Amino acid sequence: MNKKWKMTLPTLALLTAVACGGEEATETENGEVDENGEETNEETNEGTSDDVETGEADTEVQATGDEDVVLDFWIHQTGEDETNFYIERIDAFNDAHEDIHVDTEIIIDDGASAYSDSINAALVAGELPDVMAIDGPYTASFADADVIQSIDEYISDEDREDFVDSIIQQGTYDGSLYTLGAMEGSVSLFYNKDIFEEEGIDVPTSVDEAWDWDEFKDVAEQLTTDERYGLNKFWNYGIGEYMTFSGAPFVWSNGGALIAEDGSTADGYLNGPEAVEAFEYIQSLFDAGVVSNSPGEMQFEEGNAAMALGGPWIAISAEDADLNWGMMPYPVKDEPVSPSGSMAYGMTTNSEHPEEAYELMAWMTNAESTEGLAEVTGMPPARESAFENMERFEELPWSVMKEQVTETARARPATPAYPVLTDAFAEIYNAASLDQDLQQVADQQVERVERELQRFAD
Amino acid sequence: MSQKKRVFSKTKEAREAATGYIFLAPALILLSIFLLYPMGVMFYYSFTDFYILTPDDRSFIGLDNFRGIIDDAQFRQAFWNTVYFTVIVVPVQMAVALGLALLVNKKLKGRTFFRTAYFSPVVMSLVVVSILWTFMYNPSEGLINELLSIVGIPEQPFLTSPDQAMNSIIAMSVWQGAGFQMMIFLAGLQNIPDHLYEAADIDGASTWQKFLHVTIPGLRNISLFIFITITIAAFKLLVQPMIMTQGGPLGSTKSLVYHIYEVGFNYRDVGYASAMAVVFTVIVLIVAIIQRKLASEERG
Repeated sequence: MNKKWKMTLPTLALLTAVACGGEEATETENGEVDENGEETNEETNEGTSDDVETGEADTEVQATGDEDVVLDFWIHQTGEDETNFYIERIDAFNDAHEDIHVDTEIIIDDGASAYSDSINAALVAGELPDVMAIDGPYTASFADADVIQSIDEYISDEDREDFVDSIIQQGTYDGSLYTLGAMEGSVSLFYNKDIFEEEGIDVPTSVDEAWDWDEFKDVAEQLTTDERYGLNKFWNYGIGEYMTFSGAPFVWSNGGALIAEDGSTADGYLNGPEAVEAFEYIQSLFDAGVVSNSPGEMQFEEGNAAMALGGPWIAISAEDADLNWGMMPYPVKDEPVSPSGSMAYGMTTNSEHPEEAYELMAWMTNAESTEGLAEVTGMPPARESAFENMERFEELPWSVMKEQVTETARARPATPAYPVLTDAFAEIYNAASLDQDLQQVADQQVERVERELQRFAD
Repeated sequence: MSQKKRVFSKTKEAREAATGYIFLAPALILLSIFLLYPMGVMFYYSFTDFYILTPDDRSFIGLDNFRGIIDDAQFRQAFWNTVYFTVIVVPVQMAVALGLALLVNKKLKGRTFFRTAYFSPVVMSLVVVSILWTFMYNPSEGLINELLSIVGIPEQPFLTSPDQAMNSIIAMSVWQGAGFQMMIFLAGLQNIPDHLYEAADIDGASTWQKFLHVTIPGLRNISLFIFITITIAAFKLLVQPMIMTQGGPLGSTKSLVYHIYEVGFNYRDVGYASAMAVVFTVIVLIVAIIQRKLASEERG
């Protein structure tokens, strides 16, 4: 949904021509690369288009007789540059491995369910590829159903050490590691430097100095005028995954959780006092009128909001809009926590070549892929070594994001009931913008999570 | 002789029947593949615990899914949302369509332009229309609130308020769909013979009386057709809330079909979604039967 909101009118005109199926293609042509690889686009909402195969990637087939292993590999299509980068890396893999050939299929990801529809269809037909990209927080549901297999026996200790904790956490279910991603996601507090200078407000420059909730709200109130909001929380992205991705740290920082540690129940967690207090804090921001529940597309970039709690792609759009912007850490209550997660790779249980499949996974998430992807997309890398090698993260503003990813990032809960849990969270989170009794809303939403959890109880 | 003739006519009949079936075949085959077979599968799945991620350990669980529907708050909410949408959209859209048809039936200059203009939303993709209206409904930057502010009405949270969201979707849906029924009404209007109006004129009937006693009865059959098709289409509400509100806020725009879709594809619970789809089919069937009953009574 996020993407749909981001579309400009010319895009819409094109859309009219291509009807529903072509949304992603249009988006790609738009070159909005950096929003695309991110969490917000995946599974955030229910889409309208069917899965469309964009055809095979041009992977320089070298039909020598030596290639005895053929791997099927599914990746999701996002921004043009990002997809091209994947194809480049796959080509390089094929060149480097004479005995393995990778057949890549690039599957439309319309920011809604097109990609997962393809996976669902292949699952039922028993035609899953050897390796596929999946949305990080969905690791648990695939692992629980034995769709993907553990990579514990394949991954080297060095690699395990080098991935940031949140990526390992995201890929782990029931004590075993299943997925690896090359890209991380994060949300930080962007601010309009001109406005801050005018008002003479000092900003924290590292996660240790992060504002607490009260300071955050005070500044937001101070910066709210008749003409502008103090804060943009991107409510225009809709009720979906972005809310869980970007909002869950409010609950965690307050000592709460979305679900019990053992995943058995959400009752007393998602509707527990810590969680509800966090939701009520968000509500207080709306009550104070510092944030809008229907911000315009470019509210922050156009100076109509002084701060924006958003993903790395905001840096790019702010840059494009010639905004004098800076970055602060995610606000904190007790424990410093920040959002995490992105697309990851998993190898399926029906792969006949697990060793080669892992080799491909490892290649797509190795240092070179990780750094290159971070370069192309503007997203943070998933490896500590990549952070060390990239100068951009050495100093402000990006050092803030590096600190967040390496120190405070926390993955969303690993539960097979995640699809329902994330919808429930988003529904309560969104209710914070309405005049609602949040405890009551949370109780109602917990009911449906409990229903879903019964399926996995045995 | 007569014997022979009978034989001859029998084979002719048989041959004609065969020809008929051959002509029917493409439609029947397509209907079977894309309608009857999926319906059968849906019916079967509704008695299983089919979960997409584990297609192989699917087992028969009897009526459990249907029992689950009874205390499913989400289903209930979606049901009443759908009923509300239908009950409002059907009369409003019919009235608007009839009004537009009457307008463009007048011998005015540029009526072809207006006919095209009123019809144009129908040919646009519902997805595109939904996105456009989302922009128009935006409280701070949207066209509609901009217009309202000129006459001094404060910003309306069209899509973000649980009280207004469904009504906003209804308004947009009427705008999008009415053009189609307008065309059908227009055809109906042009089929009403002029002499009936002339006779009414001679009897000294007013414009309103002519509308009530000539136009309305003349449109009866067409109205029934439109009534039934709008009702069924309204029950199938899906795209607008999916694009514009994601079923929110607080589930106030979640329709039945949307709920079924979400459970089946996002939550991967095909068994339960199928059970809800069966219930949905039965509901639509009952409504259609009632409408047909009413229709035939009216005719008789």
